[in-house]
Amino acid sequence: MGDRKQAREARDDGFQSFVIGRWPRLMRTAFLLTGEQHAAEDLVQSTLEQVFVAWRKVGSADDPEAYVRRVMINAHARKHRRRLKEFLAPKDDSGLVREVADTGDRIAQAEDRNALLKALAQLPPRQREAVVLRYWEDLTEAQTAQAMGCSVGTVKSNAAKGIAKLRAIPGLAEMVTQGGPK
Amino acid sequence: MSADRETNHTMTDTDIALLLADAADEVEIGIAPYQAVIRGGRRRRARRWALATAAALVITGASGTLALAGLRDGNGIEATPAVTQTATQPSTPEERHVYTPQETMLAAGTEKGETWYISVDVWGAPLTKAEAEAQVQAMANRHEDPWDKDSPSALVGKITYFVKRAFGSGDPAFLMGDSASKADAMAGTDLKSGATSLDPKKTDGPQRLVVGQVARTAKAVTCTWKDGSSTVARRVAAGADINSDEATIRPAAGSADNWFVCVAPAGTAYQSAEVTTD
Repeated sequence: MGDRKQAREARDDGFQSFVIGRWPRLMRTAFLLTGEQHAAEDLVQSTLEQVFVAWRKVGSADDPEAYVRRVMINAHARKHRRRLKEFLAPKDDSGLVREVADTGDRIAQAEDRNALLKALAQLPPRQREAVVLRYWEDLTEAQTAQAMGCSVGTVKSNAAKGIAKLRAIPGLAEMVTQGGPK
Repeated sequence: MSADRETNHTMTDTDIALLLADAADEVEIGIAPYQAVIRGGRRRRARRWALATAAALVITGASGTLALAGLRDGNGIEATPAVTQTATQPSTPEERHVYTPQETMLAAGTEKGETWYISVDVWGAPLTKAEAEAQVQAMANRHEDPWDKDSPSALVGKITYFVKRAFGSGDPAFLMGDSASKADAMAGTDLKSGATSLDPKKTDGPQRLVVGQVARTAKAVTCTWKDGSSTVARRVAAGADINSDEATIRPAAGSADNWFVCVAPAGTAYQSAEVTTD
């Protein structure tokens, strides 16, 4: 009985370490996917709850991160697709075009970030997932395909379309040419 | 950057990555809600089991969670489940009941002139993805859908069971179920139960029907009702007669756990259920 209890405690400790260690990164990814603080928290918590259920298997897997990403992308696809535009759709119906910011202005920087989040929200979910996984998570195309449950070709297509739309935002392009947001 | 670096107007892939990183920093990280995750995970695991019921689901045990592996007798000595005692496992999926479940009647009775019974279908564990896919199809033919039907490979190595309730002239209908590996076998005083109305048409009625599973070593389960009275289900041997309205714990073919059914007297409802010594 003692051995089993120790094994369970070790597994629980492993899960706790995993949750605490990965929480910041998962929150950032979820924020880019959902565009909203509470939706991001919900997405990460929901993801980790599912991971907990399967932790006995996931914790001993070679790459638990891959499993977690897959769960998160699936959860995002299910739960957050429809809600995104409610949070982030431009209220003034101005689309993706906005005034070019003064790069020295912190308020303007915040607006730039907001513009990017809004632009992400305007992307179809699969394009958004591809962009976030490729350019924020820095995954390879194969890893992204695994997380999204699709082919590498589909990843390439979605990422290319998504990036093209982001590049079409005049404000963002201008911000980069002037030294970035920071 | 693993992303291919391209140039397009003034924004490179690296620029996009930097902008994303900057935007991601806007989120407030906060403290990881570990305990909430654990609670949610346990609820999620439980909810799966009681999917089709408006049931009060309870999972109890010495540790407050499910047993990890194997079975233990009353002295804490590990005991191998009967289903795995055979030295050689049946080799074909048919012999392992992968495509046809083993059905066991758990309880029966009469309520206001209407007969009812509870049975459980236990599907054997597929060993390969192909077997799992065929099993899901076979389940569908019997109108039994596992939770992992969209990813059959998740069923590999797990038995799947469906508890069904028949009432009056109605066909047996799904009550609750789950997929479980050998490691999920219950031990000690572990108990997993669901309570719901006896008559499936009266889902808002009092939760008088309690169905659950316990370790094979459990000798008795005491179901306590809201009026303070209780019913004790006692263990009987496999194949023992089903006596009308008698509460029992009995084995189910193909299941590593034993199963119990209690029914509250008319006028009261489920309060709690626990493994007891008598």
